[in-house]
Amino acid sequence: MAPLRCLLQLLPALALALRPAAGEARRPLALEALGEAEALAEELWGAGLPGDLPELEPECRRLLAAFAEGSAALTGCLGRRARPVRLCQACHRHYRHLLAQYGNIARAVGNSSESHNCAKSILTSDRLQIVVTLSEFFNETWEAANCANCLKNSSEGLSNSTVEFLDLFNKSLTCFEHNLQGQTIYLSPNNYTEVCKNCNETYKKLNDLYNNLQRMNRQGGESGHSAHLCIDVEDAMNITRKLWSRTFNCSVPCSDTVPVIAVSSFILFLPIVFYLSSFLHSKQKKRILILPKRIQSNASLVNIQEKYS
Amino acid sequence: MTHFLFSPQLTPSSFLRIGQLSNVDLNEDIRELETELPRQHPNEIPHNEKLLSLKYESLDYDNSENQLFLEEERRINHTAFRTVEIKRWVICAMIGILTGLVACFIDIVVENLAGLKYRVVKGNIDKFTEKGGLSFSLLLWATLNASVVMVGSVIVAFIEPVAAGSGIPQIKCYLNGVKIPHVVRLKTLVIKVCGVILSVVGGLAVGKEGPMIHSGAVIAAGISQGRSTSLKRDFKIFEYFRRDTEKRDFVSAGAAAGVSAAFGAPVGGVLFSLEEGASFWNQFLTWRIFFASMISTFTLNSVLSVYHGNAWDLSSPGLINFGRFDNEKMGYTIQEIPIFIFMGVVGGILGALFNALNYWLTMFRIRYIHRPCLQVVEAMLVAAVTATVGFVMIYCSRDCQPIQGSTVAYPLQLFCADGEYNSMATAFFNTPEKSVVNLFHDPPGSYNPMTLGMFTLMYFFLACWTYGLTVSAGVFIPSLLIGAAWGRLFGISLSYLTKGSIWADPGKYALMGAAAQLGGIVRMTLSLTVIMMEATGNVTYGFPIMLVLMTAKIVGDYFVEGLYDMHIQLQSVPFLHWEAPVTSHSLTAREVMSAPVTCLRRIERVGTVVDILSDTSSNHNGFPVVESNPDATQVAGLRGLILRSQLIVLLKHKVFVERANLSLVQRRLKLKDFRDAYPRFPPIQSIHVSQDERECMIDLSEFMNPSPYTVPQEASLPRVFKLFRALGLRHLVVVDNRNEVVGMVTRKDLARYRLGKEGLEELSLAQT
Repeated sequence: MAPLRCLLQLLPALALALRPAAGEARRPLALEALGEAEALAEELWGAGLPGDLPELEPECRRLLAAFAEGSAALTGCLGRRARPVRLCQACHRHYRHLLAQYGNIARAVGNSSESHNCAKSILTSDRLQIVVTLSEFFNETWEAANCANCLKNSSEGLSNSTVEFLDLFNKSLTCFEHNLQGQTIYLSPNNYTEVCKNCNETYKKLNDLYNNLQRMNRQGGESGHSAHLCIDVEDAMNITRKLWSRTFNCSVPCSDTVPVIAVSSFILFLPIVFYLSSFLHSKQKKRILILPKRIQSNASLVNIQEKYS
Repeated sequence: MTHFLFSPQLTPSSFLRIGQLSNVDLNEDIRELETELPRQHPNEIPHNEKLLSLKYESLDYDNSENQLFLEEERRINHTAFRTVEIKRWVICAMIGILTGLVACFIDIVVENLAGLKYRVVKGNIDKFTEKGGLSFSLLLWATLNASVVMVGSVIVAFIEPVAAGSGIPQIKCYLNGVKIPHVVRLKTLVIKVCGVILSVVGGLAVGKEGPMIHSGAVIAAGISQGRSTSLKRDFKIFEYFRRDTEKRDFVSAGAAAGVSAAFGAPVGGVLFSLEEGASFWNQFLTWRIFFASMISTFTLNSVLSVYHGNAWDLSSPGLINFGRFDNEKMGYTIQEIPIFIFMGVVGGILGALFNALNYWLTMFRIRYIHRPCLQVVEAMLVAAVTATVGFVMIYCSRDCQPIQGSTVAYPLQLFCADGEYNSMATAFFNTPEKSVVNLFHDPPGSYNPMTLGMFTLMYFFLACWTYGLTVSAGVFIPSLLIGAAWGRLFGISLSYLTKGSIWADPGKYALMGAAAQLGGIVRMTLSLTVIMMEATGNVTYGFPIMLVLMTAKIVGDYFVEGLYDMHIQLQSVPFLHWEAPVTSHSLTAREVMSAPVTCLRRIERVGTVVDILSDTSSNHNGFPVVESNPDATQVAGLRGLILRSQLIVLLKHKVFVERANLSLVQRRLKLKDFRDAYPRFPPIQSIHVSQDERECMIDLSEFMNPSPYTVPQEASLPRVFKLFRALGLRHLVVVDNRNEVVGMVTRKDLARYRLGKEGLEELSLAQT
């Protein structure tokens, strides 16, 4: 009973998490945190360095702050969307943003009178190179999640197939929820036949769509892309499959052990027959010995012939 | 006056013989005397391992230095020799390229056909898992396997039986100097290639690596001759290389190129040729062979990378890639070395068990399953049973693993939850090469110990049963697979026992297990170490792999000998090992040699020659030529040695003394005429000699080898053996102190003596 209740609580949460816009609402909070950090930084800077030696041009400082803000926002988004995985849907804007900001830093030329620019002073002037590290981290995460796979080519918004998939996914979750609520009345935890029967169609569709996506990806994705779909889709499918075959126990395959045993023992029996029959019926191959032409055998041959005669 | 019989003065009393033998071994002596009696009647015995077949001839590695040869060599000047040298390099390059291409062909065809088969079966299983009726899938799988293997077996059994097996024993024999009929023919190559494709696609427990070595050897033999007798085409090139000595050198290059293409191991290939074949070696040859190997792996690499769509990437150097073993986890510490050595011991024992089982099976096969149709049926049964065993194992397994990306080529879900696959199926429902790589590289936890244990057990027996079938297939990959499975199991239980994550990665143990098992079965040492090292691409593994292989060999040799040697022996091949048997010093050439010898006079009557050659009871190949004294009482000293093939060419061209006088315009016979007939000299029956011609005389002095190697009667067996092995001789004349022929030592006379369980054993000759 306990798992069922748990599940029922979980389902609405899953559905809620799907709404892509949810991430935007929390923006001010992130900004607040950023502001604090910036203030602290300012403080330290003011205390540590004499004012007449400006370490960083104001322009560059602005870019750096923007980057810091962007990365904080992205980190927050990634963290919040870790389980159930909604990274690509929720955070792709943040990621694009951050890319742009990093691009600004890398490209930006600071005060033209000075010989150095922002890129140099921010990205390469110390051992740690934290900005580069951060940006690499985000890029790698994005690559690993393979988000590009479920976004449109221009990275603006989800691709059509992904949207379709997520719709279907929502539909099946709703279906599960619906049927389970009906079933709680019977209080029979291991009997989910109702769900299995009613949601079979949706589930099958979802499964087929996923397999299709995977196949298409494998065919088209030979040029560089890995064979994975994007993590959101994969995770959604995983959750559904687990629910379907583990929790609901819906996919009960027909096990036909008796015919399998019969056929296999028949086949396994054949070699025994074969070997026995060839042992009994086949004429054993005989070798004809040849007497070597050698001195001693010659001699003994003579001896023996003498004996016999 | 046809034969020179030396029996009068050479009938030593049996007393003398016993006196000489008494210092060998008393038991041996008694045994020999006992077996002497029944041997008198030409008798039939069941096949056993202590036989030497008459079927196998020796190769003529020793150049016949007759007048023709000397004249030709004198004509060739310095630049011509340089051209010959360049031609050798060109041939080696061609060997490399063609071997690489053949390997590519095999690889691509196997990949596609096997992919097709597995997709069909997988589709079928998926369909029937839902609806029920999996027994049909089983039948489908078994039938598909059996029918594919049937085709593969039919072509081998009915067209070219010598293409059966891995071909390594045959090439070993060839390089040792034994002429195995048909072994380096184009037909054999075609059958071998098709056969190996079919047997791998047929799902047998076999690999396609061993046959690559044979294929490389055939390619080498074919190219270096510049013609194909199977196709009846003569390209009129490379005529200089048409003799056994040159051909052997190229064949060793071809074998090396084959190994190199199979494992992506060029150095390993060179060392393989060195270890298996090289009683005759020089450093220029080594360098050329290395060149051929490198070309071969490079060709394979570039063609396959183009095929896989990433040209210029060069990431697939061999047919099997062990994958990269160079990350942090795969390193080993010094504490693990005793563990590796222990694995070597296990590998040796399991290898010996494998060989012993295979020995009994092979003996049974030779005795009872000798008809081609029975052989085909047997191969089909093995294929069907292999499929059945695989299916039952997959069916019974409850080991489900989540699918991760596309690491598994054909994930079978069967009774697993959606999104998971049956992990037994990754091992059974795949080509063996892929299974090996999976066992090496799948992350820890991909297999549960039960699965691995069952898999090892089943595959061990299947592989053992499969080797020796009449299909062309190798034993390398199955051995590696068995070893990898128990090695991984070992690694898992080790980390389970120590409860620590220090020795976390089971892939490393899978590799060591694979090395141990393979070493325990084939007992190769140096070349196998290098092959494994190159295939893993990790030099630091060299040391543990060497230790493992050493231990496996020592332990295995304690029980039975290596698989290849065993099969060579079971085929009754007169194989000469590196050294004479250790206790053979008491034997002298006099006891070893065959006598009496059929000799020819320097100027011999044609009729006599024809009679000697057509005598079926004495199928000799070399005849000592003695001085043609009119009266037999005088000493007839040895003048030279002439070969059957030379005599046949002489008879064919009718080089008779009388005819030379009659028609002066007739051109002199050149060395070219002998070469053109090589390597398939016509049988004597096909040469027509009229009654008048029988009375003609034939002068052999120009064509015989005037300086044959001889030994006195007192030379010991090891000494004779050394001469034979080092010079690659075919005939060694035994003379007395008057330079009179008393006997002849051939390969079979030496190969008869073998060190058995109770001292020195003597094999008997048999017609097979």
